[in-house]
Amino acid sequence: MAKSKLLVVGGGLAGLMTTMKAAEMGTEVELFSLVPVKRSHSVCAQGGMNGAVNTKGEGDSPWIHFDDTVYGGDFLANQPPVKAMCEAAPGIIHLLDRMGVMFNRTPEGLLDFRRFGGTMHHRTAFAGATTGQQLLYALDEQVRKWEVEGLVTKYEGWEFLGLVIDEQGVCKGIKAQDLSTHEIRAFRGDAVVMATGGPGIIFGKSTNSMINTGSAASIVYQQGAKYANGEMIQIHPTAIPGDDKLRLMSESARGEGGRIWTYKDGKPWYFLEEKYPAYGNLVPRDVATREIFDVCINQKLGVNGENVVYLDLSHKDPHELDIKLGGIIEIYQKFVGDDPHKVPMKIFPAVHYSMGGLYVDYDQHTTIPGCFAAGECDYSQHGGNRLGANSLLSAIYGGTVAGPNAVNYIKGLDKHVEDLPSKIYDEAVREEQAKWDDVISMDKGNENAYLLHKELGEIMTNNVTVVRYNKQLQDTLGKLAEFKERWNNINVNDTAKWSNQGVQFTRQLRNMIALANVITKGALLRDESRGAHYKPEFPERDDENFLKTTIAEFTPSFEPTITYEEVDCSMIKPRKRDYTGGAH
Amino acid sequence: MAKEKEFYWRRLHSLLGLIPVGLFVTMHLFINFSATNGAESFNKASKTMESLPFLLILEWVVIYIPLMFHAFYGVYIAFTAKPNVNRFGTVRNWFFTMQRLTGIFLVVFVAWHIWQTRLQKAIADAEVNYDMMADIVSNPAMLAFYIVGILAATFHLANGIWSFLVSWGITQSPKSQKVATWVTMIFFVLLSVVGVMAILAFV
Amino acid sequence: MADQKTITVKIKRQDGPEASTRWEEFAVPYRPNMNIISVLMKIRENPVTTSGKQTTPVAWDMNCLEEVCGACSMVINGRPRQSCSALVDQLQQPLTIEPMSTFPIIRDLQVDRSRMFDSLKKVKAWVPIDGTYDLGEGPRLPERKREWAYELSKCMTCGVCLESCPNVNSGSSFMGPAPLSQVRLFNTHPTGAMVKDERLNAIMGDGGLANCGNSQNCVQACPKGIPLTTSIASLNRAATVQMFKNFFGSDHMVD
Repeated sequence: MAKSKLLVVGGGLAGLMTTMKAAEMGTEVELFSLVPVKRSHSVCAQGGMNGAVNTKGEGDSPWIHFDDTVYGGDFLANQPPVKAMCEAAPGIIHLLDRMGVMFNRTPEGLLDFRRFGGTMHHRTAFAGATTGQQLLYALDEQVRKWEVEGLVTKYEGWEFLGLVIDEQGVCKGIKAQDLSTHEIRAFRGDAVVMATGGPGIIFGKSTNSMINTGSAASIVYQQGAKYANGEMIQIHPTAIPGDDKLRLMSESARGEGGRIWTYKDGKPWYFLEEKYPAYGNLVPRDVATREIFDVCINQKLGVNGENVVYLDLSHKDPHELDIKLGGIIEIYQKFVGDDPHKVPMKIFPAVHYSMGGLYVDYDQHTTIPGCFAAGECDYSQHGGNRLGANSLLSAIYGGTVAGPNAVNYIKGLDKHVEDLPSKIYDEAVREEQAKWDDVISMDKGNENAYLLHKELGEIMTNNVTVVRYNKQLQDTLGKLAEFKERWNNINVNDTAKWSNQGVQFTRQLRNMIALANVITKGALLRDESRGAHYKPEFPERDDENFLKTTIAEFTPSFEPTITYEEVDCSMIKPRKRDYTGGAH
Repeated sequence: MAKEKEFYWRRLHSLLGLIPVGLFVTMHLFINFSATNGAESFNKASKTMESLPFLLILEWVVIYIPLMFHAFYGVYIAFTAKPNVNRFGTVRNWFFTMQRLTGIFLVVFVAWHIWQTRLQKAIADAEVNYDMMADIVSNPAMLAFYIVGILAATFHLANGIWSFLVSWGITQSPKSQKVATWVTMIFFVLLSVVGVMAILAFV
Repeated sequence: MADQKTITVKIKRQDGPEASTRWEEFAVPYRPNMNIISVLMKIRENPVTTSGKQTTPVAWDMNCLEEVCGACSMVINGRPRQSCSALVDQLQQPLTIEPMSTFPIIRDLQVDRSRMFDSLKKVKAWVPIDGTYDLGEGPRLPERKREWAYELSKCMTCGVCLESCPNVNSGSSFMGPAPLSQVRLFNTHPTGAMVKDERLNAIMGDGGLANCGNSQNCVQACPKGIPLTTSIASLNRAATVQMFKNFFGSDHMVD
């Protein structure tokens, strides 16, 4: 019998954890990534990772973590996987500690934990303010060990072009392209795990890395996989506005005592602390974002009339700031030029994370048999809003579930891909080659892909982020249809057959437009306010009609078919979400 | 030279530069310094050295073999570098470059020096004494060549000590390395004074 | 808008690994707080040189844009650094941008840094764990030791230290400062130290530690401020001891 093989697409935390788990079970893994995996977007996570290890005598427990997460997500998440994740969290933190992550320590040499938004407990393990980077490096190192041992083969600098699906509709591999040589190949795989991250770049500028176009997940969706809760886009309250991107200023700044304020009547006004006395600056992100947005846009009380408010750490001990928040202090100093030890930072909300993603069952299996998903590109853990420091957890946890489940799925197959005829693979390569040839020869039009993308980003940011109105959402759908047409008129300006980034981006842009439709249509149809999704016309949560997972299915017009599915709330009964009082 | 053994060759190179080559150079300059007390004094000191037993074996083991190894391996090291002081104008980068430039210059200088002195004794049976040197440096160009040679040698040695301290892991912290820079540069200045005063004594 | 301030930027370009190089000059409208990335982004939106010639967009690598991913290293005004954190206001104009030439060039400013990842394999830059199953807590670590080890663990394999090192070039097999410093990191970790002799022996081989010539440019250039030269000196000490242990044999190879 031929050896079974797992293909993992994406080399961030979820992909690497999947790879490790599968390799540990003796399965050969081929790992695909646009960039060397060490440069994946997971590096950008700053503040930390949650796990109820309860080291501060606060009586914290996985159940409370579970409750905080479900409540923070406004009850939109199916509860069983969230509970499983919260239960696994302490073990995952210890595992990463064993791998050598330089987590901050207490004087006794034990792991230190800090507070994050949406909880009353010190539950967040952290490595300075570059926790994501540190976790990614630890997993990268472990995978490198598996590479040396011969079980893992990396394809870095390869772009995912699509799944190879057989006549029965079962996923049997992927199509991918080498970004330098432009060679297109079909890879045989008994199962595929998508771990391709979020779609922030659809919004133009965001806190996301440049590779986070959502293109890969969009392709799988276009191939028939269901996409869930696409409209649930998290806007992070504190980012530095910038020309090329909006740089995240971690929630840990507030976890360590940072205060949000602006001037009102000539005096500092700590509006979050005033309105939410119990949680103060540590209300969940959707809440903080809406407040800042309201202060700047509606009340016009931004600092110096600009759309910014202060995030203030200047009252904190400078040495402690360096040890606990060094990474973000450095970013602010380098990119803005001011010293946060001395002056408050100027921040504004920015698109940050997609709670929605590919629909998966509790085994992380998508609706295409043989194709799994884990990490930000799946929808399963965060409901309508993600709590800070839960993303590193869900990415890694997703990998620990997807890896073994994919291997078990492979064990249950009666035929392995190496035994399949090469026809579907040859066909797949031919198809992709033709598509590529079409895009690379787009040299007649007069649209610039980057400018079109900029327009897409502006429209999406203006209409489909913090505050959403049905009229604007409807208009946006119209615009997106226009973009789809204008895309055909792009001039790639470069027909080089070697490392042609413009053509690659053009191809991704089309997938971004497809996914933008999912986000916008989902938002349009959800006539309520829940988590990150807020409509002034429907300011209340409507459990009767919308305690449901939005499910989008692709149509060639790009406007998806939307259906709904009940949410499993069997463990914690939905209750009103309100952070103005004390503990919930 | 086998690449896998590079580490040991490098360490040997570093060690030999100090012991015996560095020690010999220092002693040599101090013996030369006796010339400042007149020809008599120099000739006496020089004779004492020449009267050492097993002189030829001693010369080969203590001077020529280590020196040649240090020189030839050093040239190899120097030519594997691509100096970039235009990009990084720091003291250490200048010293790095200078170490290699002085090293290459010293190979030429020392070869010439040995040819002019020790080999003349071996071939032409000339006597190595005050007059011989006085004769050599009576040519101003030769004097300049010798002064540059001496300065190159003292710098190369002083900075070599600094490198030795790092390469063997004796100075680790930035502060200890900084202190070592000062100490070795003071040593460079003092030894240069000795060396230059000595050569000028032959004029 | 005729009097709008512009930035002149000269870029060294190369269509492929074997292609010849050329310089192209662009003028980009100035905006406050611009970085090199936003300059390059402007160019790709309208790839026309100052002499009016339509050209191809410049190829370059980037990802996080906040100096944690290590992708966007290039040589800017003669200095290797991250282009995302290179602010135009702090640079002399005209700007010159070149690829890091110590690495094989893919296209324009894109370079192939895979040799750095190969070095990480060679020096076993990982903590050897038994498995990912739940085996309880990790080892304790003094916070003050953790603080400096954390500095070492911030290395993002950007290649700037290799580009700045005079001893890393086509004529030498020197792996450069980055992987060496990783050896110190993993030899510091309580579990990592259990195979510290293997890592030391690896860097005592071809292209290893001994190739350092102490120009100390790396520590000047490192965008993350990693104490690379301290790491190297510390490894030198460890290697000195290891050398004698190897020669005479020892029961204390890993302690």
